Amino acid sequence: MIGYLDLVLRLVIWFLLTADFSPANIIIGVCVALMLPRNRTLTAALKDWLHVLWEILVAIPQAYFEAVEIMLRPHAKEDIVMEHVKPNRTPGLIFLDIYLISFTHKTIVLKYHENGLYEVHRVRRRRRAKQGKPAAVKRINS
Amino acid sequence: MIDVLSYGLIVSGIIFWFWGTLPLLGERSVLFKLHSLSVSDTLGSMSIVVGLLLKIPSEWPLLVLALISLAIWNTVLGYVLAYCSSTGGDDV
Repeated sequence: MIGYLDLVLRLVIWFLLTADFSPANIIIGVCVALMLPRNRTLTAALKDWLHVLWEILVAIPQAYFEAVEIMLRPHAKEDIVMEHVKPNRTPGLIFLDIYLISFTHKTIVLKYHENGLYEVHRVRRRRRAKQGKPAAVKRINS
Repeated sequence: MIDVLSYGLIVSGIIFWFWGTLPLLGERSVLFKLHSLSVSDTLGSMSIVVGLLLKIPSEWPLLVLALISLAIWNTVLGYVLAYCSSTGGDDV
């Protein structure tokens, strides 16, 4: 199933890059997309992928909102939080998760631990009760 | 109308750029600077490109490609920089 998504992504990039829908170009694009090496060993549920892609779309306006929020009010506190990785994630999905966390501006992933934890750095206005389920919190000087 | 919108987007993108870049000179931690720089780079550049998209719609394939590359590249590079900064020592 993921093979299709992979192929579609390559074709989209190809057509955006060339901006040409002549038959010859379409044939070249399909050939290139099929010839590039693919990772066949990992398959994840299409539902998970669509879910993450949808979350990325939603994250764009949220990122703008957070940016304006940081601009208007000073965020003086910083801390580092450990977040759990959702179960049964393939490396591709973990990459997208890290991407999603880093894309919004109050959080950035520092490190991915092999035992299923993300190390996330956050900025915030003041200290308060933690959201989510952090396993451990380590304050750093701000 | 389109002109106003596109110039508005471009100007707001430039404001994002400057606002995100100025904290680089401040006294905050590396990671805080990385947060604000990613605001400026990703969001500022994205709104500038969207402004250009409204102004020259005929070039949409290139501009959409630029949008996608910006969103992916900036964020991943931010993650890489954060990762590098965290493994060097305890001086973050």
